[in-house]
Amino acid sequence: MKNYKMKFLIALPLLLLLACSKKDAIVANDVRLHFVNTFKNTPIVLGDASSGLATINTSKEGQQHGFTEIKYVVSNIRLVKIDGTEIPYYINDLDKGAAVINHAKPETNEFVLYDIPSGTYKQLKFGLGVKSELNTIDQVRFPKFYAAAGANDTEMMWEWGTGYRFAKLEGFYDVDHKKLSIHTGSTIEGEEGAYTQGVDAYRDIELDLPVAAVVGNAAPIITIKADFDKLLSGNIHTIKLSSGTGMDDNATPNRHTSVQMMRFVENMGGNGTTDKMGMFSVTTVEQ
Amino acid sequence: MLIVCGVLLCLWCCSKNKPDADDDNPYIKLPIPDYFPDFNTYVVANRPTKYGVILGERLFNDKRFSVDNSISCASCHKPENAFADNNTKAIGVYGRVGLRNVPPIQNMAFMKFYNWDGSILQLEKQPLIPIITKEEMNSSIVEVINKIQNDTDYQHLFRKTYGDTSVTPDRIYKSIAQYLYTLISANSKYDKVMRDEAMFTAIEARGYHVFQQKCESCHSTVLFTDQSFRNVGFPINPNENETGRARVTKDMKDFMSFRVPSLRNVEYTAPYGSFGQFPTLRSVLDYFDGGVLDAENLDPFLKNNNRRIPLTEQEKEELIAFLKTLSDPGFITKTQ
Repeated sequence: MKNYKMKFLIALPLLLLLACSKKDAIVANDVRLHFVNTFKNTPIVLGDASSGLATINTSKEGQQHGFTEIKYVVSNIRLVKIDGTEIPYYINDLDKGAAVINHAKPETNEFVLYDIPSGTYKQLKFGLGVKSELNTIDQVRFPKFYAAAGANDTEMMWEWGTGYRFAKLEGFYDVDHKKLSIHTGSTIEGEEGAYTQGVDAYRDIELDLPVAAVVGNAAPIITIKADFDKLLSGNIHTIKLSSGTGMDDNATPNRHTSVQMMRFVENMGGNGTTDKMGMFSVTTVEQ
Repeated sequence: MLIVCGVLLCLWCCSKNKPDADDDNPYIKLPIPDYFPDFNTYVVANRPTKYGVILGERLFNDKRFSVDNSISCASCHKPENAFADNNTKAIGVYGRVGLRNVPPIQNMAFMKFYNWDGSILQLEKQPLIPIITKEEMNSSIVEVINKIQNDTDYQHLFRKTYGDTSVTPDRIYKSIAQYLYTLISANSKYDKVMRDEAMFTAIEARGYHVFQQKCESCHSTVLFTDQSFRNVGFPINPNENETGRARVTKDMKDFMSFRVPSLRNVEYTAPYGSFGQFPTLRSVLDYFDGGVLDAENLDPFLKNNNRRIPLTEQEKEELIAFLKTLSDPGFITKTQ
C-alpha cells in the first residue's frame, strides 16, 4: 500500500509535467511563423559599428550600413486556403493576434498560430504595423500587447500620436558610422473613408507560399524572410541616407518622420497596390 | 396622441438609460459672449455637467497621474499662467525636459486642433498622451486607475457623474475634457471694449490699429488665431524630433509649421515660441522686425515682405499695450 502511494506521488508530478508540456508541444493544427531578418540572403547579426560583429550591407547608393536594433509589429494575420477561403487569426485582438518581432530576442522571431482549421493553404497575409482602427494604445483592451510594446527594452509606443511604432530600426551607416535611426508609424485621424489628417503607415502584406502548407497532419513551419537590403534599395525607392538638419536629411528621426518616413514604409511594406510584398517573402514551408 | 406619447416615452427611456445629465447632475451653462464662434462638435457630444466638471478638475490636479506622484496636469498647466507655465520647454517627472513649450489651455471648446502641431483633433483623446509620455508623467492609464479607484471621494464623484463608481479610461478622459471645456477666457479688457463696457486708452487704440495692419491676418477672429499652421521662420528647435506640423502630415509643405497660437492672455504665458525661444513679447516683435529665417515654405505674408514685419519702436510699445488688453485677470484666478 505504502509503495503504491509512493509510486503515485512520483507519478503525479510527472503527469503534471506531461500535461503542461503538452500545451507547448507542437500539435498538428499549429502553424509556426518564423521570421528571419536578412540582407539579401545573409541572416543579419546585430552589433555596434565598433564591435566588428554586425553584418554590413552596401546599398545601391553605395552606402555601408548595419543595425544594432531591428523591431517591427506584425498583426492582422490571415491564412488563405487553396480554394481562396481566408482564415483570420485574431485579427481584432492584438493580445492574441499581434506580435513585436524583436531581432535581439529570438523567442519573438517565432509566432505560433494555434488551432488553425485543417486544410491546404497557399497564401499568408499579414499586416506590417497595426491597422488604424486598433492603433489607439488601449491598455485596458489589450494589456498583453501594451506591455510587450511598451517595455523599456522595446519602446514600440509612439506616445505623442497615441499609437504604436510599426518599425524601429537603429544602427549606423557610411564609413564614418553615422547614426541611423528609422521609426515608422501612423498619424492618421478620422474614420476609414473620411480621414481628416495624417498618414497611414500600416501595410498589408500578401505572400504566396512556395509549396502548399498542409495543416492537420503536421504542423507546418513557414519561414518568412524580411530582406532589409530593400530598406534602402527597395522595389519602389532607392534611398540615399544623409545626416543633419537640412530638408532632405533622413537618417535620424528629424527628417524621416516628416516626408521621408513613407519612403521607408513603402520599401519595407509595399505601396498597398502594385507591391504587396515590400521586403517580405516566404522562403520555405516545412511540413 | 398615442404615437406622440410613445415617442416621448421612448425619448424618456433612452435618455434615462444614458444619464449624461439629470436633475442631480445638470448640464452647466457656460458664459459665452454672442460674438464667439460655436462649440466644436466634440463638445456637443460631451457637454460639461456639474459633477463631470468637478471630477475633471479633481483629476486635472491629481499628482497620482504621474509615475512617482510628483506632478499633475496642473503642475505644467498653471492657472496663473493661463494654464501654461514659465519654462521654455515642459518639465516632467525626474526633471525630464520635453520637446516643446507648454501651451496655455483656454477656449478649447472652440478649437479644431490641439497641440503645437495639431496632432489631436478631439480633446478627449489628449489626456492619455502626457500620462504615458516618458518626459511627462511616465505612467499608464491602468496604473492611474489602480491608484485612484478606491478613493472614496472619487467613488462619490464618479457615481454622481456617471451613475456608478466604475473608473474607466473613457470616463477619466471625458471628465478632464469637460473641465477644460469650461476654461473660457472672454472677459478681457478687449472683450469689454467689444461689449461697449470699456474703452481702449490712446496707446491701446493705436496698438489695435497696428495689430489690424500687421498681425490680424493670422491672429484673426475673437480667438486671435485663424487655427492655421504656418512656418514663420522662427529659430529652429535643435531637438532632432522636431519637424512641426510635418510630424503629423508627413508633408514637406508643413515642415516646421506650427499652429498660430491664440494671443489671449499672452501677457501671462512667457516665454514664447514652440520651444520658448523668446523670453518676452518685445523679443518676438524685435525678431519679426529684424527678419526671420528663410524657408521654402515660409509663410507668404513674410516671403512677400523680405521676411520681415517692419515695426517702429513706437509701434512695438503700442502693440504690447494692445496685447495686454487681451489679459483676463478673472480667468487666471479661475477655480470652479
